[in-house]
Amino acid sequence: SSQSEVEETLKRIQSHKGVIGTIVVNAEGIPIRTTLDNSTTVQYAGLLHQLTMKARSTVRDIDPQNDLTFLRIRSKKHEIMVAPGKFALLLSLLFFVIYLLNPDI
Amino acid sequence: KTCQTAEFKTAEVEVQARHSSDNAAQTEADQHRTQLFDLERESHMHYPGLGDFLHSVEDTVVKELKKNAKSHAFEGFEVNWEDQNETVSCLHALQYSEAQERELQVTSLSWNTTGSVVACAYGRLDDGDWSTEKSFVCTWNLDRRGLNPKRPDLVIDVPTSVMCLSFHPSKPSLIAGGLYSGEVLVWDTSRTQDPLCARTAMSDETHREPVYQVHWVPGARRGDGFSVLSAGADGRILVWQLDSEGQLTLSDGFALVTQQIPRNVQLSKARGDCLLGVTALSLCPWDWDVFLVGVEGGLVLKCSFSTRTPAAVSSPSSGLALRAPAQFTFSSHAGPIHAIHCSPFHRNLFLSAGMDGHAHLRSLLQATPLLSLRLSDSYLFSVRWSPTRPLVFAASTGQGSLVIFDLGRGSLRPAATIEQDTGGKPVYCLEFNPKQPHLLAAGSADGTVKIWQLSAELIEQGQREAAQLEQLATEAMQ
Repeated sequence: SSQSEVEETLKRIQSHKGVIGTIVVNAEGIPIRTTLDNSTTVQYAGLLHQLTMKARSTVRDIDPQNDLTFLRIRSKKHEIMVAPGKFALLLSLLFFVIYLLNPDI
Repeated sequence: KTCQTAEFKTAEVEVQARHSSDNAAQTEADQHRTQLFDLERESHMHYPGLGDFLHSVEDTVVKELKKNAKSHAFEGFEVNWEDQNETVSCLHALQYSEAQERELQVTSLSWNTTGSVVACAYGRLDDGDWSTEKSFVCTWNLDRRGLNPKRPDLVIDVPTSVMCLSFHPSKPSLIAGGLYSGEVLVWDTSRTQDPLCARTAMSDETHREPVYQVHWVPGARRGDGFSVLSAGADGRILVWQLDSEGQLTLSDGFALVTQQIPRNVQLSKARGDCLLGVTALSLCPWDWDVFLVGVEGGLVLKCSFSTRTPAAVSSPSSGLALRAPAQFTFSSHAGPIHAIHCSPFHRNLFLSAGMDGHAHLRSLLQATPLLSLRLSDSYLFSVRWSPTRPLVFAASTGQGSLVIFDLGRGSLRPAATIEQDTGGKPVYCLEFNPKQPHLLAAGSADGTVKIWQLSAELIEQGQREAAQLEQLATEAMQ
């Protein structure tokens, strides 16, 4: 069933070397799947949602034919990767996936 | 000759508001958002399109992850956002003239929760006699303009020497102090009239000997305020609650009796029923049930708040039954222990330092120390982990200097030694500022508190420090 397929895919990605956590966020910035604890998830989802929207609008302001494909933030302790979803006409299908990587590995 | 402009049109108008209204706005704490997200519920909900989305994104992400694992980009690339301070400098030397005249020593220091006020307690640590000398607790607000280092913002008169101080973890104006007479007092510095806000009554149950350690501990249940924990030379560790009438009422108590000390380590042959005075104490920030105690004789004990074993002391008939908290004994130092501190970055590591001039890095999981570092030829009076660098700690010596040690350097020599210029007198206490990590306060026997500004390399966390600390901990375990 597609439900278990979803779980399988998430598990596959989560088990990759160096991945600490995975969050799937919907267009409103509300997390719908996560492998981290509640408060961390809500914090990351909220903050990164805003940042991703800003990054996307920056790319499109520079060139309206262009669009954001991937966002990476490297900090002293971690790396955060955001993969935006299909920018379908119905904005409610906008998903992001966020991963936290430990760059030491 | 004259000139003239074209005709101007002017008009006069007045305006007045006929109705006015008052309005206010307020934000809610962000818990509201957390309530919207229910992990349980979400994992059962089915979102159409989620499967397809993940499918499409998976390949890209996995490709990036693989690239990341092999990439050397940014290796060794360090960014500095702040101004780099290359040297350590003394920002302030705080003194109180009356205390200087009477040659009182600084026995204890504490920063308040906002990091702007430092309080110091005066007394004597080298006096063997029962002292009835009055003493002081002074506070300075370092963020205030017009700070006069010779005049404290607040001076509290205290009937005997104050041996230890601790600011409340969330209320910036409450301080608890333990006295030489065994009393525990709580002051509220925001009160103009009389800062004394609570005290312990003298009874059978209170300490009868100097209180060397005072801390704030969270209440047993969530939502309970903090209680005051005091430990003294009489071998008792008592927990007090502040009530509204200005009394500290005893809510819990423990006693350390020699015969009840766990015998996993060879102990000296002291009389079984004598009580062991407490000289150092540290709460464990990772597990609120655990606390570590250093006793006379150099032993370090791991104790538990939730112990049920009654203590082998005769308790007063109407009073609280004391319990025996010790669960594990660590191997001892050669001499009394003056300071213990649990690492804020690793759940099992802690430091202990004492009169043998050595600082021991220990793990909660084994009796023998992981590392034994000789930091001074004389005594060590205080040791504290850095709040920002997992591998760094500072210690104060009996020769009047501060030693800052970096475990990541792999050398037995300290990263920095700061001379406090006390004329050879010991530095008794040192504390890092919790909110401004570049500030370190140290109080010495000559009655001065010096506020040091640390250099950037001593404060900024390197890339892999937490992992290095973890590695150190596991490698050194036998």
